[in-house]
This record gives sequence, structure tokens and C-alpha cells, in this order.
Amino acid sequence: MPDNQYAILKKEELNSFISTLSKLNKLAAPVSRGYNNYSFEEVNSGDEIALKYIPTILPPKKYFMPVHETLLEYDISKGLNADAVTESEEMILFGVHTCDIAGIQCLNMVFSEHPEDHNYLIRRQNIKIIGLECNEYCDEFANCRLMDTHLPDCGYDLFFTDLGDYFIVHINTRAGEEIIENAGFFKSAQTRHLNELASFREKKRALFKIELPIESKFIPDLFDRSFESKVWDDLDERCLACGNCTTVCPTCYCFDIKDEINLFLTAGKRYRVWDSCQLDPFAKVAGGKNFRKARKERQRHRYYRKFRYSVDRFSRFFCTGCGRCSRTCMAGIRLKETLKSLIETWIK
Amino acid sequence: MGKPKVAFFDFACCEGCQLQVTNMGETLLDVLNIVDVVEFREVMSEKWKGELDIAIIEGSITDEHAVERIKEIRERSRILIAYGSCAAIGGVNGMKNNFDLDDIREYVYGSQYHFFPTEKTKAVHQVVKVDYSVTGCPVYIPEFVEVLKAALQGIPYYVPDYAVCVECKHNENVCMFDKGVGCLGPVTRAGCDSWCVNNGNICYGCRGIVSDPNEKGAHDVLSKYNIALDLILNKINMYNKCREVDQNAQGR
Repeated sequence: MPDNQYAILKKEELNSFISTLSKLNKLAAPVSRGYNNYSFEEVNSGDEIALKYIPTILPPKKYFMPVHETLLEYDISKGLNADAVTESEEMILFGVHTCDIAGIQCLNMVFSEHPEDHNYLIRRQNIKIIGLECNEYCDEFANCRLMDTHLPDCGYDLFFTDLGDYFIVHINTRAGEEIIENAGFFKSAQTRHLNELASFREKKRALFKIELPIESKFIPDLFDRSFESKVWDDLDERCLACGNCTTVCPTCYCFDIKDEINLFLTAGKRYRVWDSCQLDPFAKVAGGKNFRKARKERQRHRYYRKFRYSVDRFSRFFCTGCGRCSRTCMAGIRLKETLKSLIETWIK
Repeated sequence: MGKPKVAFFDFACCEGCQLQVTNMGETLLDVLNIVDVVEFREVMSEKWKGELDIAIIEGSITDEHAVERIKEIRERSRILIAYGSCAAIGGVNGMKNNFDLDDIREYVYGSQYHFFPTEKTKAVHQVVKVDYSVTGCPVYIPEFVEVLKAALQGIPYYVPDYAVCVECKHNENVCMFDKGVGCLGPVTRAGCDSWCVNNGNICYGCRGIVSDPNEKGAHDVLSKYNIALDLILNKINMYNKCREVDQNAQGR
């Protein structure tokens, strides 16, 4: 019996699907950059896409909250004119892993809180997400099973799972359905396909094991007892405060707002740019006082933002287990190791 | 009220940063609309001996004549901008400070070296008060324009006090360390939009070192990547040798 929630796409049709899609919409997908680095880039054909990739340098949040984003433009040469600006265009993201879909869900919660962030929400509405399942771990830095982000949940329009010579595609929204209708190439999934998906998921559940000796429900407790832990002193000695960990994090959303005015001081723009709690000036206030001066305080703050504070405020962890912070840290600060040290200290 | 009077002066340098002004393109026309350039050796022959609203200084201070001259310029300038790495942090001229002054003079001028007095290289702020700095070798023109706007408005300009890595990640470059190349981005002050790495080069540290570098942590990183400490210290000293003058002044 065919199932309306699922469709299938033969592997040999993927290139045609991608080409067709890229003609209908701006389309971005993971692309290899060499040295085992990947990034989401605009693509026009399936050949450009890296179907097997480890998390990209920057997460797809760069499309939802661009690094630099104009919020306001003003011109006072003829009276006081100031216009709110929303720069947004319709686009499709292809090949988003479950960890990054979880990251976008976190950002959705943050920017939907009162007062709503219209720039983010308008852009969010204009971006369609096509997920792609990881059949195995990307590498040793991931902790997606612990964070329970290793399986598709929701937060996408379509979701692709590679089942050998075809993809089975979950249709989650009306927009996803339209993509399938407009592109062609898809067939309805039969019971046989759904059975193959079920048996793949069963194998996957056996492959992805909780990566640390703790159940996620005890993590808030762990952090409640770890504020004065010596583990933070160790990070203090190692951290270079380069901010890489937060810049590449799919759920870090801090930004600074700046003005840029023309040389005649008559017109300009107000824009926001990503900021980071790891940087020395971040917590510096008038008078020169810095309330998180020590690197250990800044690192500790980062961990508490991921594993403790968000639990109170949003009832979920803000770590998606993608492993980017560990992969990018030149000083070798590894999230899994930090958590492991905290657990060991707690048990003692 | 006339347009603010601005003059460019050069000390020990290659004058490349002043040349960057002529590379500004259309922005240069806007700049010339709001300031009156009264002295700029590279592009005009007129001189100006009177008072100045803004003195823009390229080059580092390397002998007693330079000390006298920079003091004289400072006295008649309302605002003084150290322009380029040589002026702002000492830059490549600081490499002289690696050597005994007599030895280095003999190396450069031969046996008659005593006719050529010299001093340890200093950045401009190590001799006279500096109001604004535009660091970089060469300067990053968008930053110079921002500093000029700040100076003309009389508001402060904050040089970012965090690593080039921040901007480099914003630009989503593949990390030089992933390519197996030592890069000074992690300890160098941002503000250049990771100009060099965007173009396939490493960061040479021309913008100076962040104010609170984690030196021990940096050593660990180098050993992890198997990069010799001497090599990196030499790289840092290429632009940042004059840091020692500040550190000595603070009694460190």
C-alpha cells in the first residue's frame, strides 16, 4: 500500500532533482572545502554536493541569522528618515543533518520569545529545510545520542534517508509536498520501503550509543554541583579565547549592534554582527569593569548556557551534539572530555 | 568654520600605508570633500608649518631627529593618528631591537657607522601621546575610514581586542592549522576582516597581539601541532618586537 507521508527517490535521479530544484529556488548544500572541511554553499548540480560530510565549518544558522545583518537604514539629510530593514530571500537548504535541524529549533525558540525578532522569523519562514540522515557517526567528537538529536524528529520540510540504491523521503510539511510535486522524479513509498526504513533505524539505534556515562536527565544536576569544579581551572590554562567554539556553535546567537555612518554624517545603517561570550570585551561594561574577565569564567559560562540555563528557560539542552566546538578548538578543549571530567569529579 | 586641516607625515617606513590612501577609490573623493589635506609628501609638494587638526603619522621612531620631529608635530596637532603597523606598534623596524645598536649600525653603514646615530625602534605612542591608531601592514582602508570618522566626530574608536580567528570564522575560511600551517590569527588583534587568510595567506600578526594572550595555552597548541616555538616567536617579533618597550614601561 502506498504511503502519502513518504516518497522515494532513486539515487540515479538525485542529480536531476538537485538541478531542477536549483532552477526553481536558490539552493544551498554541503560542499567539500578540502582538509576534511565542509561548508554550506549555493549549488546548481548534485555533483557539487558532499552527501557524506562531517558538520560544516559554520552551521546553517548563517542563513537564519547572517554574520552581518542590517536592521535599520537612516538618512537625515532631508528630515529624519529611518527604515527598518529585513533582508530575506526564499531558499532551500539541502542535506541538513539532524543535529543542525535541532540547532535551528533552538534558535526558533530564542527568537520567538517576546519581543519577537522579526528579522529572524521572516527569514525562517523563507527557508525550506531538506534534512539528510547520518547513517553512521560523523567522527569521534559527536555526542548526538546523548543529546537525543541523532534521529529525525521534526523541524524540516523533507527528510532524506539513504537506503542503498534509493532515498526514502519523509514529507513533513505542505511546503515539502510542493517541492516533491514541482520537481517530479519521486514515487510513492511502498510497504517494502517502509519496512526497510524500520530495519535501518533499528540498526542505527544499536550503532548510536550514549557517548558518556550519564543519562541526559542527570546533566542539570551535574552542572548544579560543578560550578566550583577544578575542571574549569584546567580550561583556563588551555583556552586561547579565540571564540571559535561559540562562532561555530549552532545554538549560539549572541550579537552586537553597531552603527555605520557615512563621512558626511548624514546617512548610515545599523547592523548586527555575531558576538561571543569567549571574547575579552564581551562582558566589559562602562568604567572598564569586566564581569567575566577570566577565561575559565567565560568557558564555564559557555557550558552552562548549553547544559543548564537553557533547561530552565527553554526546557531543553542547547547542545545538539554536533561536535563542532571540539573539532574547531586549537587548544584541544573537547566537550565530551570536559563533561567526562565533570562526571568523574562528581562521582568522587 | 573651514574644513579640518589634515597632514600626512612619514618616519621610518616604506610609505606603503600612505599609498593605500590613493587606493581608496571613490571614498577618497568623499574624504577630500570633508578635510583639507595641507601636507602629503607622496602626492603634493606643498608644506604646512602651522597648526593642524589631524596629523597622520606613518613610520616608527628610530633616531633622535625623529624624536624631535614627532614632538614638534605633536605640539601643533589637535589630534594625532598613528597610521600603519610601524607607527602603531613599531612594526618590522622593531626587528632592529633584536641586535646590539652598534653591531646593527656597522652592519648597515659600514666602518663609518658612528656618523649615523640611531636609537632603539619605538612606536609613536612610545614617544608622544597618540589619540587613534590604525594598525596593519598595510592599513585596512575600511578601518582607516572608520577611524577618520571617529576622529572627526571626536568619539573613541575601539580596536577589537580579540583574535583574528573571530573574523576568519565569520568568513568561514578553512583553518590554517587544519592545513598544517602555523598562523598568528589566534593571538593577533582582529579588525582586518581576516584579510590575509581570506586570500590564502597566513596571519603575520601585523595588527599587534591581543591585550591578554594566553601564552602558556599558545605554547601547548604549538607543541600539539608540532610547530617550533622559536619559529613562531620570530614570526611574532617580525611585527611585534616593540611590545617589549611597553612591557618594560609597565615594569614587566
